[in-house]
Amino acid sequence: MLQTTFPSSGAWAGSPDPRRDYTLSPVAPPPGWRGRCRPSTSKFLWAERPALLGGKRPARVMAATRARPSAREIFATLEYGPVPESHACALAWLDTQDRRLGHYVSGKWLKPEHRNSVPCQDPITGESLASCLQAQAEDVVAAVEVAGKAFENWSGLPGASRAQHLIRLAKMIQKHQRLLWTLESLVTGRAVREIRDKDVPLAQQLLQYHAVQACTQEEVLAGWEPMGVVGLILSPTFSFLEMMWRICPALAVGCTVVVLVPPASPTPLLLAQLAGELGSFPGILNVISGPASLGPVLASQPRVQKVAFCGAVEEGRALRRTLAGRGAELGLALGTESLLVLTEAADVDSAVEGVVDAAWSDRSAGGLRLLIQESVWDETMRRLQERMARLRAGRGLDGAVDMGARGAAAHDLAQRYVREARSEGAQVFQAGDVPSDSPFFPPTLVSDLLPASPCSQAEVPWPVVAASRFRTAKEALAMANRTPRGGSASVWSERLGQALELGYGLQVGTVWINAHGLRNSEVPTGGCKESGSSWHGGLDGLYEYLRPSGTPGRLAYFSESMNYDTFGLAVPSTLPAGPEIGPSPTAPYGLFIGGRFQAPGARSSRPIQDSQGKLHSYVAEGGAKDIRGAVEAAHQATPGWVSQSPGARASLLWALASALERRESALASRLERHGVEFKAAKVEVELSVRQLRAWGARAQAQGHVLQVAELKGPVLRLREPLGVLAIVCPDEWPLLAFVSLLAAALAHGNSVVLVPSGACPIPALEVCQDMATLLPAGLVNVVTGDRDHLTRCLALHQDIQALWYFGSAQGSQFVEWASAGNLKPVWVNRGCPRAWDQEAKGAGPELGLRAARTKALWLPMGD
Amino acid sequence: MSARNWGTELDLSWISKIQVNQPAVLRRAEQIQTRRTVKKEWQAAWLLKAVTFIDLTTLSGDDTSSNVQRLCYKAKYPIREDLLKALNMHDKGITTAAVCVYPARVSDAVKALKTAGCTIPVASVATGFPAGQTHLKTRLEEIRLAVEDGATEIDVVINRTLVLTGQWEALYDEIRQFRKACGEAHLKTILATGELASLTNVYKASMIAMMAGSDFIKTSTGKETVNATFPVAIVMLRAIRDFFWKTGNKIGFKPAGGIRSAKDSLAWLSLIKEELGDEWLTPELFRIGASTLLSDIERQIYHHVTGRYAAYHDLAMC
Repeated sequence: MLQTTFPSSGAWAGSPDPRRDYTLSPVAPPPGWRGRCRPSTSKFLWAERPALLGGKRPARVMAATRARPSAREIFATLEYGPVPESHACALAWLDTQDRRLGHYVSGKWLKPEHRNSVPCQDPITGESLASCLQAQAEDVVAAVEVAGKAFENWSGLPGASRAQHLIRLAKMIQKHQRLLWTLESLVTGRAVREIRDKDVPLAQQLLQYHAVQACTQEEVLAGWEPMGVVGLILSPTFSFLEMMWRICPALAVGCTVVVLVPPASPTPLLLAQLAGELGSFPGILNVISGPASLGPVLASQPRVQKVAFCGAVEEGRALRRTLAGRGAELGLALGTESLLVLTEAADVDSAVEGVVDAAWSDRSAGGLRLLIQESVWDETMRRLQERMARLRAGRGLDGAVDMGARGAAAHDLAQRYVREARSEGAQVFQAGDVPSDSPFFPPTLVSDLLPASPCSQAEVPWPVVAASRFRTAKEALAMANRTPRGGSASVWSERLGQALELGYGLQVGTVWINAHGLRNSEVPTGGCKESGSSWHGGLDGLYEYLRPSGTPGRLAYFSESMNYDTFGLAVPSTLPAGPEIGPSPTAPYGLFIGGRFQAPGARSSRPIQDSQGKLHSYVAEGGAKDIRGAVEAAHQATPGWVSQSPGARASLLWALASALERRESALASRLERHGVEFKAAKVEVELSVRQLRAWGARAQAQGHVLQVAELKGPVLRLREPLGVLAIVCPDEWPLLAFVSLLAAALAHGNSVVLVPSGACPIPALEVCQDMATLLPAGLVNVVTGDRDHLTRCLALHQDIQALWYFGSAQGSQFVEWASAGNLKPVWVNRGCPRAWDQEAKGAGPELGLRAARTKALWLPMGD
Repeated sequence: MSARNWGTELDLSWISKIQVNQPAVLRRAEQIQTRRTVKKEWQAAWLLKAVTFIDLTTLSGDDTSSNVQRLCYKAKYPIREDLLKALNMHDKGITTAAVCVYPARVSDAVKALKTAGCTIPVASVATGFPAGQTHLKTRLEEIRLAVEDGATEIDVVINRTLVLTGQWEALYDEIRQFRKACGEAHLKTILATGELASLTNVYKASMIAMMAGSDFIKTSTGKETVNATFPVAIVMLRAIRDFFWKTGNKIGFKPAGGIRSAKDSLAWLSLIKEELGDEWLTPELFRIGASTLLSDIERQIYHHVTGRYAAYHDLAMC
């Protein structure tokens, strides 16, 4: 008899309940199926059809009466047979929990009384495998408490000890890998081969890589400290591997984690159990199973300093709004769609395999948008359809299937999309004729969807490929970038120049050249635009869970009285404010937009008082229209600035530094009038000059090359500009903060719209006079006016790629809330002033990290 | 073998644009071996099928009539009779697809097979096998002599020099002459892919060979350092499919060299099934050139039937 060892209670012997033992010999379909789906006539090959859709097993009886085909029969047909992978150990593990799964917290199973439970079902047979308790808010609170306690010990450990622990977990996974892969395949329906050959080894690789990072943390990541308790929220489409991508770096740097998994996902619980049974540090990884509505509860726990969320775009948006002002930093990874650009210079057959990897396999979570060059459209379509006919679907636990079934929700989603696409006039090709009550969804190719149809805007679900044609590479780029999504993409072209041009031009987090879906623990993976701007893997993944040492913990600054509809909506009108004791020379007046000073659209001004409360001068009162103009000007300047070499950017920043130096006395006297001591004012100007030079120098060194195991060829880690960056400068350090933020943004290739200090905007306007002559028009735009109103305009603007806000707590809360519109990354100070004169704050790596985004460009080589 | 490929006019546009991406093909080759497996009855049936695809080969300097005779007898009785009976396959007339020998041994083989009373075709390598570095005149003469001796399939090697220097017209002309010299015999063209430098060259050479009238394209001689590999096979199979789509002619494929284990042979079968489809899984369109593979298949069948692993003395040598 089979003997299976379990991590928990020693050995367990015996076979599971025979009724649960799914017979994998070809069985006759249930009565309703007869004549509707025959493997011999169906083009789409069913490795095995489900025997059972309801609760009973009529098919089992029939299976017994129909003998397996003999070798003689198979010799004639040469068909594939079943290749069952025994899942006895997965069932036995469920038995150790009496088929009733709770939560795994603090190294113990937690099964509180009086909780609802949800059945965990086999997605193909519908058979109930176990029941899973649904957490309630108090369970979440308890888990966060545990993680908070564990954080004190865990973060205090030397990195080497944490590394040891992670290595032990990797070994633990290795020892129980069969249990892991059969359980995952059983409950998710994904092909076991994919989990066994890819996911489980990658999970181990992740632990090993991050163990090395933990070991070198004190040296490489000096000046950074772990954030604290991390709340990770997973939605159903994301597998246990996505959890590993995030918990590994979090644990490595010293954070502890509470994971909220959707109901009926036992694999994360198993992983938590494996980690818990290492003995020491039981509370560092806690897994709670519960409904999506608990997400905000977990995220707004005061001890949770960082929230990582993987899920659908709309859920992410909602969470962003809910979390405004709650304190925790939010990292979003949204959507699952991917993109493939197939040019006429491609190896079409290989590209077709890329499509299979991207959408018609169990490797991918989502669907694929496929752009095909018109000249190879027909040829590609023929090859795709030929290839689709050879795909096999079946029970995930069969060793020879390409695609499993992923449950009713995924099925319905795909079905809705295809139906919608059809009604919008698209051509739909599906391999095989699948009965509507089947749990499987056939691989689907949708073509001729016009860009304006609603389906073209929607996210393509698994396992659908939406193909459209383009004429030139330039058009491909325009089409590819014209979606709100920015996850991953692949480019297929044998022409190196073209491939690189496309690879650099695509606005996504990951680009593979002539490959699709490669992943490695050393390569940062993330996205931009509505795919969310968080990273996992590589150094970028570590920074997600770190903050500069000495930063105070993030507390909630949530204001109940905040009215998002009216914040900054109206601008108080300004009247002449007494005698203007004119400075000499007079301060520049106007909004600095498109390289020159312009009159504000509202044609009104606001008075600026000096430290004695006397009128210093008037500045222009900017409004929504001026912000619009400034953003447009910035967008126009962007392509030119991005294409500048880092050296050219550096020399312009240095030239600006020199100009500032020449203006030193004027600037210092402006500052002095605002109550800064003359000596301190001089220091502020000097520091500003130094900041410009420092960022100029840093512009030279960006991005690097990664060498990755299993890949011949490099992976380029590029640091790309965000685009148009809006910055609301703080009131403190009116010149230094303005210059520091500006310099960091420009050095990384961004174009900028700034709102200078509200109390003392004049020094910033002085600097604009130099920028007018030195910098390309529109690169830097400075808008003065009511800060709340301008902040509102900027935060709600959909075409601003990132926003930094240094101002009031209320403003911060509004910015976080409003950023949900286009999910732009935001950086807010939550009303806390920042010591801009300190190296770490004013010129530290934090600014550099936030001023650019990472892109990984995979370049496999070989001939 | 029935249908013959009469070839087509040389059309260089079929090969001028083609680009094969090597890393992508390597990944596909890696995947295809893990994505399909067969077990139990399916495995036994597939292995027996594999036997019928084997060109049982001996190409050694020390071949004499006695070991050629032994080989021919093994070709007729590849699997022990009692094992076939246990599988109810004894009346299927399972033999290997052909025997393959050097030109000088063709008459020995023909004689031996006649004595054994069977019609298994004899294949002969030719054209300066394995290097092909002899004069065209002698290479053509070699084909004619082998055909005269009774070989009905000729495995010719191409001139690698012509591929490496891009002389596609010259390559086409040479193979065309081989074709003519073969007469009624089938032409199997060995591309010696281990010496063609790139997968793009493999594709182009495959296409030229098919245009020139090859009935089969074959990966390698078994004498190069790199033999039949999956990436190379994928490229050749894609060329075969493209040729079929362009002309309607089905061309056969023969991997040779380095295929030793039963497991390998199963992987090759599923490769053909996946890339070309079931129509290609017949001895008319698919061969495996091998010498030691057969004994491993027999051992696996033995294990399937008896549940035990065979000792070497349980099975006949070939």
